[in-house]
Amino acid sequence: MLPLGEVGFAEATWIMVVKSLVIFAIIFGILPILTVVERKLIGRFQHRYGPNRVGPFGILQPLADVGKLISKESFRPANAISTLFVLGPLLPVLSGVLALAIIPWGDVQNGVGFYGIDVPIGILYFFAVGSIAFYGLVLGGWSSGSKYSLLGAMRSAAQLISYEVSMGLALLGVVMMAGSLSLVDAVHAQGQVWYIVPQFVGFLIFMLAGFAETNRTPFDMPEADAELVQGFMTEYGGMRFGSFLLVEYMEILVVSGIAAALFLGGWMGPGPSFLDPIWMLVKMFALVFVFIWVRATLPRLRYDQLMGLGWKVLLPLATLNVLVTAILVVVT
Amino acid sequence: MEEVLFFVSAIGALGGAIGVVAMRNPFYSVLALIVHLFSLAALFLLLASAFVAAAQVVVYAGAVMVLYVFVVAYVGGGGESAWEPIPGQRLLAPALAIALFVELSIAILSSALLALGTEGPEVGPGFGNPEAIGKLLLEKFLIPFEASSILLLLAAIGAIVLAGRKREETA
Repeated sequence: MLPLGEVGFAEATWIMVVKSLVIFAIIFGILPILTVVERKLIGRFQHRYGPNRVGPFGILQPLADVGKLISKESFRPANAISTLFVLGPLLPVLSGVLALAIIPWGDVQNGVGFYGIDVPIGILYFFAVGSIAFYGLVLGGWSSGSKYSLLGAMRSAAQLISYEVSMGLALLGVVMMAGSLSLVDAVHAQGQVWYIVPQFVGFLIFMLAGFAETNRTPFDMPEADAELVQGFMTEYGGMRFGSFLLVEYMEILVVSGIAAALFLGGWMGPGPSFLDPIWMLVKMFALVFVFIWVRATLPRLRYDQLMGLGWKVLLPLATLNVLVTAILVVVT
Repeated sequence: MEEVLFFVSAIGALGGAIGVVAMRNPFYSVLALIVHLFSLAALFLLLASAFVAAAQVVVYAGAVMVLYVFVVAYVGGGGESAWEPIPGQRLLAPALAIALFVELSIAILSSALLALGTEGPEVGPGFGNPEAIGKLLLEKFLIPFEASSILLLLAAIGAIVLAGRKREETA
């Protein structure tokens, strides 16, 4: 093993390889299900059935979608820059997969930690790998050689800068209460009460910033189907477009996972300890449902409203939350 | 394995740095700078400072370079200006570059070369983790830490003042 950093719990290399494969396989099994769940739910929210033709109740819809995307031509506009155009969809996938590593699915059991890796820099790692995704969007948008793509990429750049600050500050309250950046330690610290109770403001800010970071409604300005025809994805087709779509769902899962671990008590729940990963999944899916619910409910914000909300409301609120939490932590 | 990672990231850092000055298109220069910064982060990881590496990526690659990319992609590079914005720039720049080179050479010759062939310092457990760095910043280096944060605050206020004044004139 490379001595690249300390870990909370060290294991043999082969165990880590097996763990990575299991986490990867499960998450990539969930992603297509998530797409059909979202379409079904949005259908229900809008008083229609949603997809119900492919397979029983339409559950085979993702297979049909993926088959279509894979068999399509990987088209590239004539004035696109080929290497960067190909690199564009790859970087966000890399970032999403890397971020999966720190989501805790359970405690150490039988000598195996139920998480990819427990790094002491935990949340910082999440922000560090998250910053890679941004370059995918901007490279994709810039190298497409299309003004819609460029505008979408620029909007996402401005949006990501604006909301990343609030997102970090929102988590600072939890970090101070837990006394650690590690997500595993943060879950352990929630034995008495979930942090959503004392850190409710932090939770709200984190989720709002999470909607913005994943480019979801009501902050889907970078994509904005109606005005920018999907923004930075305009010129992409086939599986390259598919991987942008895949990343969106993966980021939703990652943000839900981080929020579930930091605010909803992570893997904690009644029942024997082998149910821990199930509880984690249940909490994650509850948050994913919130993502879909919000998408079906709220209209898109105007661009100046988006910036105003980020800088004038969320940032001061998050700073205030950090201040109050710091005072309370010192006093108690 | 350590050597492989070291050489990969060292080549990335040097190549990225050369790319920044060698590329014609400013957008590619910015991309080269990003490669350079990520390689530096990998070097920090090899030095057992995961926190510094993560901070490097979050602050430079995640925030500063985002602004660079934003400006270059939006505004574009434009051609080189026909006149020298600072008079005497063509003479001043090489002189300053040579001064910097001499300074760095002194630093490298006096300290860094002596460490060649040694094993490097022993680091205890907990070296470079967030707790240790937090203690250092808020206990041993409190005054430099606060001074630099005041400097950053002043820079932010200055930027707001400058941008705000421009808007009033145009309005």
